[in-house]
Amino acid sequence: MSDEPRTAAGTGDVFDPDLLSRCMSCGFCLPSCPTYRMTGEEASSPRGRITLMRAVQDGRLDVTDPTVLAQSQFCLGCRACEPVCPAGVQYGELLEEWRDTAWQGRNRPVLAKLLMLMMSRLGMVGITLAGLVRRAARTRRGTPAAPNLMLGCVERVLYPKVSRAARRADPSLVAPAVQGCCGALHAHNGESGLGRRMARRLGRQLPGTIVTTSGGCSAHLAAELGADRVQEFSAWLAAGHGPDLADLTPIQVDGRRARLGLQDSCHLRNALGVWREPREVLAHLGDYVEVPDAGSCCGAAGSYSVLRPADSREVLAPKVAAIAELDLDYLVVVNPGCYRQMAAGLRGSGTRVVHLAELVARAL
Amino acid sequence: MATLVERLTSIVGAAHVRTAAGELEVYARDATPLFHHRPDVVVFPGSTAEVAEVLRLATELRIPVVPRGAGSNLCAATVPLAGGIVLVLTRLDEILEVSGPELLARVQPGVSTQALATAAAAQGLLYVPDPGSKVVSTVGGNVATCAGGLRGLKYGVTRNYVLGLEVVLPTGEVVRTGGRLWKDVAGYDLTRLLTGSEGTLGVITEVTVALLPAPAATRTGVAYFADLAAAGRAVDAVIGAGITPATCEFLDRTCVAAVEDYAHLGLDTEAGALLLFGDDGDPELVDRSLGRIADVCTEHGATGVTLAADVAASEDLLAARRCSLPALSRLGSLTILEDATVPRPRLAEMADRITAIAAKHELTIGTFGHAGDGNLHPTCVLDASDAAAVERSHAAFGEIFGAAIDLGGTITGEHGVGAAKLPYLSRRLGNDQMALLSRIKTAFDPAGILNPGKLGSTGDQTTEAGTA
Repeated sequence: MSDEPRTAAGTGDVFDPDLLSRCMSCGFCLPSCPTYRMTGEEASSPRGRITLMRAVQDGRLDVTDPTVLAQSQFCLGCRACEPVCPAGVQYGELLEEWRDTAWQGRNRPVLAKLLMLMMSRLGMVGITLAGLVRRAARTRRGTPAAPNLMLGCVERVLYPKVSRAARRADPSLVAPAVQGCCGALHAHNGESGLGRRMARRLGRQLPGTIVTTSGGCSAHLAAELGADRVQEFSAWLAAGHGPDLADLTPIQVDGRRARLGLQDSCHLRNALGVWREPREVLAHLGDYVEVPDAGSCCGAAGSYSVLRPADSREVLAPKVAAIAELDLDYLVVVNPGCYRQMAAGLRGSGTRVVHLAELVARAL
Repeated sequence: MATLVERLTSIVGAAHVRTAAGELEVYARDATPLFHHRPDVVVFPGSTAEVAEVLRLATELRIPVVPRGAGSNLCAATVPLAGGIVLVLTRLDEILEVSGPELLARVQPGVSTQALATAAAAQGLLYVPDPGSKVVSTVGGNVATCAGGLRGLKYGVTRNYVLGLEVVLPTGEVVRTGGRLWKDVAGYDLTRLLTGSEGTLGVITEVTVALLPAPAATRTGVAYFADLAAAGRAVDAVIGAGITPATCEFLDRTCVAAVEDYAHLGLDTEAGALLLFGDDGDPELVDRSLGRIADVCTEHGATGVTLAADVAASEDLLAARRCSLPALSRLGSLTILEDATVPRPRLAEMADRITAIAAKHELTIGTFGHAGDGNLHPTCVLDASDAAAVERSHAAFGEIFGAAIDLGGTITGEHGVGAAKLPYLSRRLGNDQMALLSRIKTAFDPAGILNPGKLGSTGDQTTEAGTA
């Protein structure tokens, strides 16, 4: 009864065959996937999406097939499926290859085009547009051996206070004014080649160690420059840099130790395996409370909250409800996208959203 | 087709019917390699009544229906080989009741095995069956395949814990078999017949399962041996010594290396085989039991024995064992696993035969399995594009099934027959029993709409090879 016509464009060169063949379709990834949990449908699970990728690769579906296209956009790209995959499928890589091909021309979300154009400008020319608006955490000079603080293009615009706090917490960090965008958002939005070139260029602009307060940027940069050169801020502190954690003064609220929760950064946790470190730091800053499902995506997901606001809010909702139960003073984030998302979600609640670097600076 | 889709839509609502090519593609396969066929429509019913209406319609129009849970089965039981309707039951995902006083739970079929176990644990109870795929598999799917798991020897498998079922027959009647009673011999034991019927007799819409009080302590340990056969002999000795371990799993060197590569537990990847043993119950008894198992293993050739330091370490070991299969798939682009099972005293002999068959056909076969109950999972890992190797793997598995039957065993211990093993089923059952299965199938499903080409069929159906 079924017929499975081969499309004319069954090219077999969309995906790296070795990456694609890693998946054995066991389905162990399904419970970890926020969009599968939302819909219960195979097509919106990592395994289902890989089945779609295979159909494209084998020519059973065209890359412009409506389901294929819709799923390439519905995926958050949080990579929660990777650490739970015993077969070691590199889903993030596959997703980048998928979007590189699928999001061409008119199939590219319009907002993604605008967003990437804006970021590219920031990155290419290296003008610190936002730096003119806010002087952020700039420094004029630093020794070549000093670790570089990456300012981050989203963070520079939305949360310049985070970089300032990071430099107060660790004055050894230098923040050269001329630094571009790391290209993470490009890589996740159908321009992986450009994204990688931008990361390499940033690597040249910031020689030596790069410290970043953005979990998402750290994973992308580490993939391109090597994990030894890139340190996310909480991992940097946990490794013994900056203030002695034992000397920090825990944050007080109403004369008692503050109750602190954490929202993990997906790529920091799932791609770099950094999740103990922010918890270790927070344990010195107040009474740490583990938020249920702290490791699952908040729905910010890079540009996702801008491109798909309704789905993004649906992913966020159960998280906000879970946090409301905990009576937290602060929900701590380690990534600017999560900052914006959680701040929107918790607006008007008794829980304030703050970056880990800000709390550390206050605890000095 | 238009009429079918319209009528399905009027039953479950447009939001729960899928017909787009991509939506069909993802339901064209399950966790079994080499089987692929798209359905014509995918339906997500939201109630028993909707399931009944869908089945009545399918019988009227003679449309095949394949019930599906999480699609984690390993025998192509949920691949719609004849097209038609894939009936996905994951919307029915409520835990209806967990009763401590009655030691039972009542759940809808789409509840995940893990969710049921967690709900039971919250009341100090244990849902015993724990198939390797429990994080994703559904209770309905577990019952339909009579899933096994890591506790088979001491506690049995899914069928030992199913008290009652609500089932929709292909002709639309809703029947309740069994119930809340441990003793109930009123009528044929349809509950047991439906358990393991692989979606060929009826669609399970509610399950009542037996629970046990959760054991106070669970501990595990690891012993290393020169090869699987040596580990198998040690298991015999353990059971001969009057010990019934709750867990008794083994992995050969190939599997240990793959698992270690994923889980980083510090396993000895040089050893020829690993035996993972464990027991549960009163803490002192568990400690004594583990000590005795360790002693017996040492006396029977173990090259090293270590006991897990704490609960977390035990959990890590068990979790690592559960992911043996997908971890093995790191070794090649195509992973074909089987499920041959022999009487436990023949385990060592079977392990040796598998090694010889792998060598003869020049294949990489990693073997892991449930040593306590004789259930082996020889797993062939190869390059999907090497057609000759794929052919050789089929020949090798044919011989492995033959060896299992020779030794008084079976072609599948817990994964099921599905489409993948139907061609071998008559070797296990013989013609008379095959004919009886067929008559039973007809009694339940006169129109032959439920999961055709699987159990109850003759086994000469054609399959469509697709992607791995």
